[in-house]
Amino acid sequence: MNSMSHKKAEKISMYFKFFILLIFGSLLMAPFVWMVSVGFDRTANITMPFPPRLIPEEPSGFNYGIVFENGRLIQSYINSAIVTISSVLIGVSSSLLAGYAFSKGRFKGKKAMFIIVLCTLMIPMEPRLIPLYKLFNSVDMLNTFWPLILPPIINGMLIFLCKQFFDQLPDTLREAAQIDGAGEFKIFFRVYFPLSGPIAATMVILAFIWSWNDFLWPLVVLNNQELHTVPLYLASFSLENGTSLGGLTMALATVSILPIIVLYLFLQRYIIQSIALSGVKGE
Amino acid sequence: MAKNSLELETTSGPNSQLKSEVETIRQKKRKSQLTWYIFLIPSFLGILLFMVYPIFESLRLSFYQSNGTIENYIGLANFKTVLTSGPFWNSVWNTFFIGIFQIIITIPLGFIFASLINSTPKGQNFFKVIYFLPNVTSIVAASMIFAFVLHPEMGIVNYALDSIGLPTLKWLASPDTSKWAVILLAVWHWIGFVIIICLANLQAISPEMYEAARIDGASGIQQWLFITVPNMAGTFAFLLITGWIGALQRFNEVYVLGGPNGSPARSIQTMGAFIYERGFTGFEFGIASAATYIMFMIILVFTFLNLKISKMKL
Repeated sequence: MNSMSHKKAEKISMYFKFFILLIFGSLLMAPFVWMVSVGFDRTANITMPFPPRLIPEEPSGFNYGIVFENGRLIQSYINSAIVTISSVLIGVSSSLLAGYAFSKGRFKGKKAMFIIVLCTLMIPMEPRLIPLYKLFNSVDMLNTFWPLILPPIINGMLIFLCKQFFDQLPDTLREAAQIDGAGEFKIFFRVYFPLSGPIAATMVILAFIWSWNDFLWPLVVLNNQELHTVPLYLASFSLENGTSLGGLTMALATVSILPIIVLYLFLQRYIIQSIALSGVKGE
Repeated sequence: MAKNSLELETTSGPNSQLKSEVETIRQKKRKSQLTWYIFLIPSFLGILLFMVYPIFESLRLSFYQSNGTIENYIGLANFKTVLTSGPFWNSVWNTFFIGIFQIIITIPLGFIFASLINSTPKGQNFFKVIYFLPNVTSIVAASMIFAFVLHPEMGIVNYALDSIGLPTLKWLASPDTSKWAVILLAVWHWIGFVIIICLANLQAISPEMYEAARIDGASGIQQWLFITVPNMAGTFAFLLITGWIGALQRFNEVYVLGGPNGSPARSIQTMGAFIYERGFTGFEFGIASAATYIMFMIILVFTFLNLKISKMKL
């Protein structure tokens, strides 16, 4: 009897927890739902629908049509893609090489050099902003993508994660290849690089998120509107229009967020794992 | 390689052979040492150009009056200007205020929800995905939406508050409440991250501890209080400090919501926005550099604390 009621209580508490999670989850989702809904409302550009409603009185694709017709969002998508893909490639390759060297290498100054890498984690962007601006100005690279692509070549967090990964791989693999007379580069590319899939995927995901959402530095170096990345375009649109043009703003936000959300839903397991890894290992 | 084997052949006698062997091993070692440095060239070139140089250049600039082309050495005058400037201290206050409330709301709330997710047998993955979704959204797009979500007359937050009989706020329309608007946005955006980190560490607590407690007759809440919470201390410290460092650097959302001067009435201008305003709308590079150095020192103290508390060995 006792165990029966105990089980019942457990079940009730389980449903209760589930219910709370559902409520809070819908609160977090509400801005997204509202965003999509207002985006379909043509009249929202003059007065926002109030009280809020899930389905607009007269649903129309007008706002979404304008977003695509205008073309600036698509242009900024292309810009963001160029910047992100290049900087991810550069950052992940250099970090793989460095992480591997710090894990398997035997050379003078290894410890000191690794400490230098960890120290870079302590240096935020702000104190480097003006000197970097002047540096890229002096080589005439402002209003190009280079200032966004080149600096991510150094990423202490990626090197750290990569070193940790290679630390778990046995040294015996190296020794076997060494006996065959393979050089260090050959050993890396033939033996360890093919095994680095899981950590490389994590590094790509993290570097992608950082580069795609980067805002302050692009804002400083890109004045030319045609070069604006997605966040820059959104910010300039938002600052220009404030809280007028609600329908258009929401349509723009929807189109800018949606591809990332779709990508996230497909890769959610890996993305969440990567975030957790950067937090757990960084701890 | 060819040279080494040749050396071996030409030398005679056990002693000299040993010597030359030691020599070749040494050479090989040196050669392989050099290869390792090649692995590190890209990263260290980056460190030199994009970390070391800017940090020292920024320090130098903070002693100069500079607009990018003309420079005059003025000693500590920039630091004096910044440290006696009302807007700077206002930006420090705003940054701290928003950061402190973001953190003391998000970490406990995120931990509670992580515990709830961890203890529901069904839909764990579904909730993980849903709760993390705001964090995937770029903060710029999120700010754009929140300008409407928090609109005093037509936003959904005030509508919801009103419909359950609570008083409504003016949010971004008034300097008295605008910081709370940023805090709400920051909590919404950050909580998914806190939940993911908490969940990962919750699942790392050994189940044997719970089993032992259950045998001893500990209730669910007792287990949570006496096993879960103490085991999460490291995680909380990590979240507290990374969250605080992130909060000190806050810029994106306040720029989108209030522009470089953090309107209304500079009420949401953070340190980052102050630096941006002085450096890139006023082109007062010297003053902005001094301000970044002050901010850098504050961040450095907290990062150092983080490394001390955490297991990352330096």
